[in-house]
Amino acid sequence: MKTVGFDTATDDTVVAGLDGNRVVAEATIAPSDAGRPLHSQALLEAVGEAAAALGGWDQVDRIAVGLGPGTFTGIRIGVATAAGLSLSTGVPAVGVSTLAALGVSMALSSGRDGPVMPVLDARRGEVFAGLYNHAGRELEPPFVASPEALIARIEEITSRLPSPPPVGGPGAVRFADELDRAGIPIPGPGTALHRLSGRAVCELGAGAARSEPGKPLEPIYLRVPDAQLWLERDGREPGPD
Amino acid sequence: MTLLAIETSCDDTCAAVLDGGRILSNVISSQSVHDRYGGVVPEVASRHHVELAVPVIEAALTESGTDLDGIEAVAVTAGPGLIGALLVGLSTAKAIAAPRRLPLIPADHLHGHVAANFLEPDPLEPPFLCLIASGGHTMVAAVRDHSGFEVLGETLDDAAGEAIDKAARMLGLGYPGGPALERLAADGDPAAVEFPVAMSRDPGLDLSFSGLKTALVYRCRELGPEGVAERRADLAAGFQAAVVDQLVTKLRRALEREPWPAVALGGGVAANGPLRAAVRDLCDRLGVRLKLVPTALCTDNAAMIGAAARHSPVLAWPDYLGFDAFATGSRGKR
Ligand SMILES: [Zn+2]
Repeated sequence: MKTVGFDTATDDTVVAGLDGNRVVAEATIAPSDAGRPLHSQALLEAVGEAAAALGGWDQVDRIAVGLGPGTFTGIRIGVATAAGLSLSTGVPAVGVSTLAALGVSMALSSGRDGPVMPVLDARRGEVFAGLYNHAGRELEPPFVASPEALIARIEEITSRLPSPPPVGGPGAVRFADELDRAGIPIPGPGTALHRLSGRAVCELGAGAARSEPGKPLEPIYLRVPDAQLWLERDGREPGPD
Repeated sequence: MTLLAIETSCDDTCAAVLDGGRILSNVISSQSVHDRYGGVVPEVASRHHVELAVPVIEAALTESGTDLDGIEAVAVTAGPGLIGALLVGLSTAKAIAAPRRLPLIPADHLHGHVAANFLEPDPLEPPFLCLIASGGHTMVAAVRDHSGFEVLGETLDDAAGEAIDKAARMLGLGYPGGPALERLAADGDPAAVEFPVAMSRDPGLDLSFSGLKTALVYRCRELGPEGVAERRADLAAGFQAAVVDQLVTKLRRALEREPWPAVALGGGVAANGPLRAAVRDLCDRLGVRLKLVPTALCTDNAAMIGAAARHSPVLAWPDYLGFDAFATGSRGKR
């Protein structure tokens, strides 16, 4: 199985080409110096390079894309790109959870095969997190939480497990101080544990069941649009202006 | 050249296939979901675009009787518009073009409204004056050649369609408000309630609609809820007349400044009956040709993007791989 995989739900543009279990291309493009993700500028070129490393698009068996959770615009750049590539090449595209992919990355980098807790930065002072096994299978459904709620959740989960799960990812780095104070150790920001790997996206995609043909890839937002919240809360339209 | 064109700058997901200036298919999926919010919600629009883009493109290909193997270039709106919405169309377009090494032609949305007039049958050749009025933009554009346009005047605040939607809401009509306001206004007396004709003393060609909106707020306040209910039709008629009056006044002034052989209308507000009638009247009086494209080509659509792309710079593979969308400004000449 030859897989081109990518994820743009976090600030990094993550791309890889996987041939069987051999990584033939891998790229992580960090945001600009101003902190702006470079998905729209960097993704397609890196994806083209991964396809070329696998022998060209007619050799590729599958496109794997991270569906989120993450930044709304980032998720959509990835999903729209995967859908367009699939339409253009006829290569089937499958979606994978960005949290599950981060979980697999954490298991790969830590060499552990117990449960892991990937944590993404959800902005607005919150995180996206979930509990996964080393192969990316969901053990606890993904959730949105404040750092306090995350800590409570980790403590509750840990009480049910033989040993505490590794906690990592951009969301864990963001709230490392809070987590550390609660006795949950978070390695330094540069550590491999926190990095989403393109390989993990490819592996999950290669193992995933093919989505029904013609069914669009569905982003995992985990949050409804603000306007919908206001509408539901106030039960009426906002006034003019 | 056979072109696939994609447009997602606001709340309509659109794709079209063109053979030169001939439309082979023109598919528009309007997002009625925004009605309950009383306006376009960018995040909601983007979520729908990502769901609808590929099905709409597939429908456009099927309807055209061709498939991707028959497509020689991909055109896409690069801006101006809602950035998150634009990025869905642009990412899709680039991803379709790149594996096939097709050229990509980024087009300007406003150039698209102008270029709708270049489409067959009966294309309008420049030079002409184009009044574009919609929920997102309002301007008088000088079209001297196919490749762009010059903005002679534009709204300094609300777009005409935006003002109409807000007025419709104040009068208890749904969203989008244009057609409902027009229907209600038909039963009213436009002279019964006085509205200021904005910018009439301003010698330039810029427009403004926020004063009109404020005037409506005051009229409603003076009349009270019962009075408003009683005079709704008159209020709608007076408001609509003031919008049309301003648009036509600026168009007339532009025609007086410089002779133009033809006038064209674009944007959703161009579907407004009284506006069409008033512009026709003006053109008849001045002996200027009036070009009115069908409503489906006035409102946002991808055929017009394909038409603009035919006269826009072509980006060869791989030069466009890093091409990004732009939310504001325009690549028309200013
Ligand atoms: Zn428009």
